[in-house]
Amino acid sequence: MKSTKRYEIYRTAIAIGIALLLGYILILVTVFPDGDMAFAEKMRAAFKEANESFKTFLLSPILKQRSGEWVFNLRGFIQWINESVPIIITGLAVSLIFTAKHFNIGAEGQLFLGAAIATGAAIYFPSIPIITPILVILIASLVGAGWSAIPGYLKSKWNASEVVTSLMLNYVALYMGLFIIKTFLRDPNAGQLVSLKFSDSASLFLLNSRYRWHSGILIALALSFALWFVMKKTTWGYKVRLIGNNKHFAYYSGINTQKTFFQVHLLSGAIAGTAGIIELLGYYGRFVWLYSPGYGWDGIIIATLARNNPIYVPIAALFLSYIRVGAKTMGRYTNIPPEMVSILQATIILLVTAEAFLSQMRQRAIEKEARSTEEAIAGGDANE
Amino acid sequence: MNNVLSSILSWEFVAAGIRVTTPILLAALGALVAELSGTPNIALEGTMLFSAFVGVIISGFTHSLWLSVIGALITGIIMSSILAYFSLKLKTDIIMAAIALNIFASGGTIYALYLLTGDKGSSASLKSLVLPSIDIPILKDIPILGDILSGHHILTYVAIILVFLIQYMLYRTPLGLRIRSVGESPDAARSVGISVFKTQYTALIISGMLASLGGIFLSMGYVEWFARDMTSGRGFIALAAQALGGTSAYGVALGSLLFGFSEALSFSLQFLNIPYEVTQSMPFIITVGALAFYAWNKAKNKKNRDI
Repeated sequence: MKSTKRYEIYRTAIAIGIALLLGYILILVTVFPDGDMAFAEKMRAAFKEANESFKTFLLSPILKQRSGEWVFNLRGFIQWINESVPIIITGLAVSLIFTAKHFNIGAEGQLFLGAAIATGAAIYFPSIPIITPILVILIASLVGAGWSAIPGYLKSKWNASEVVTSLMLNYVALYMGLFIIKTFLRDPNAGQLVSLKFSDSASLFLLNSRYRWHSGILIALALSFALWFVMKKTTWGYKVRLIGNNKHFAYYSGINTQKTFFQVHLLSGAIAGTAGIIELLGYYGRFVWLYSPGYGWDGIIIATLARNNPIYVPIAALFLSYIRVGAKTMGRYTNIPPEMVSILQATIILLVTAEAFLSQMRQRAIEKEARSTEEAIAGGDANE
Repeated sequence: MNNVLSSILSWEFVAAGIRVTTPILLAALGALVAELSGTPNIALEGTMLFSAFVGVIISGFTHSLWLSVIGALITGIIMSSILAYFSLKLKTDIIMAAIALNIFASGGTIYALYLLTGDKGSSASLKSLVLPSIDIPILKDIPILGDILSGHHILTYVAIILVFLIQYMLYRTPLGLRIRSVGESPDAARSVGISVFKTQYTALIISGMLASLGGIFLSMGYVEWFARDMTSGRGFIALAAQALGGTSAYGVALGSLLFGFSEALSFSLQFLNIPYEVTQSMPFIITVGALAFYAWNKAKNKKNRDI
């Protein structure tokens, strides 16, 4: 078991390494100069600029250059942490549903509709500190659970493909959410389509007010721990994992698989529903999205990287938001499009989920472990 | 109300419906072939997007329609090959691999667009070509029939022909038999000497090429530019159309028509002051409803309940 785990870590590290190498090559291609220099000279210039850009990409979320020296970059750091909050939460929601081997990819719609409806509550609810944000988040959570219940019900009751229905519902949620904001909650004085401002006490507690470091990260980490506890320490979590491993076995050992599947969809939706509103409450103070922010899709990447383990989800999310903030900063200083990151993300997903990728290495690790166990047993026999 | 009725009962409405249906139908046929082989192709969206992009870029730089169509088809083959290699050889879950490809296509096209044209939004600065519409001689002069049958886009005709070809291929040829048997039971197929890998790989390649045609229809059918994320979910709608249409190409064509026409309807309904968001989400609501009904019906008839 131990060697398999180590192998998974190696594999993830190699996947990330290959993706970063690919990133470097992409940067190199982008900065390759035109003009009529000699090729060798062009190469030298390209490498020099690529190195500089790559350094910005890798370091800018925590360090910045001030008069030639690298110093701590508080602003980048806070941006990094803040951006990880919604994707930690969607990562948790997706990892839960994937643990049960269901592919409800509707987190995107759940968080969008949850945020849009909860925005109404955040504007009009009576202003009570602490209580209001909790209520607002709970409402978003209920909406998310309800929205996720539709594909969950259709799947567990009639076996309708949850992949397709949840995908379709993402679009419905997007249009419904925009309709709600536009018709009922729009701020008529704002230049673009945004909601009215939330009431004062609806916003989250700030850890740093200058760069709006909000306490969403604490909520996200608490959720991670809670979900880890539920999955690893409770009977329900055990049931879900058992179903994911072998639903036939689970069914014939007396677990009501359909009921458990439905509960998984509900809980996953309830978690995903909060991802959007927490960012809005913490950072923007109003509803600001004109299209889906994409956090639901990020959740899939994160759950994959974290092997659906809630305790690894924050690490995976922090990694993803780190390379994003790095790419954005790099995009500001150079002409390299930050969309480069999605190519790296795709590479990472493909390599991490490729079960047979580096399987020889795994085979060797398992054999080695088996041999050492055997030797230990043999050694034990000799001692007797 | 009269406005709406007259706009629905016009040739323009029918033409719009057919125009919107074409890319969905092409991709949905791709979804059908892949689905029947037991390898659902969720990467249709990304394949369409990347082919739409490659078609426009090649046509912009070479001014050759043939080269751009071939380039788009090759793009489809490459995307499907990546999907097939990872899911069939490296045992990646096929849905995860497809999601990765979709992410790759969405970001990769923007990245490459910027490298090649210096613009991240669209390829408007690039002079690209448009694939032609076709007037059918003689037929086009017959009054009503000519309006209905003639003057459509070349890819619309291709799509209609492909409906019959795919149906024939799936149900009347050895390849089709192999595809269906591999999809039904890979182990049984393997036991009679069919190569599951080869068959599924072929099915995915066909699926990718069909999606490519749908993709270039978007960027070269009536417009001459590529815009970021211009497929806007059509690859996913194609999946839904396939799910609705079941296992025959005719059924899939009907499913695609339902989508095409409900989207065309959403343009017409804007006369009634029905908000854009409501009309836009209608096709999706119809799909979910229809899928639910379909599944319910199936479950009722033969206890098709997964445990």
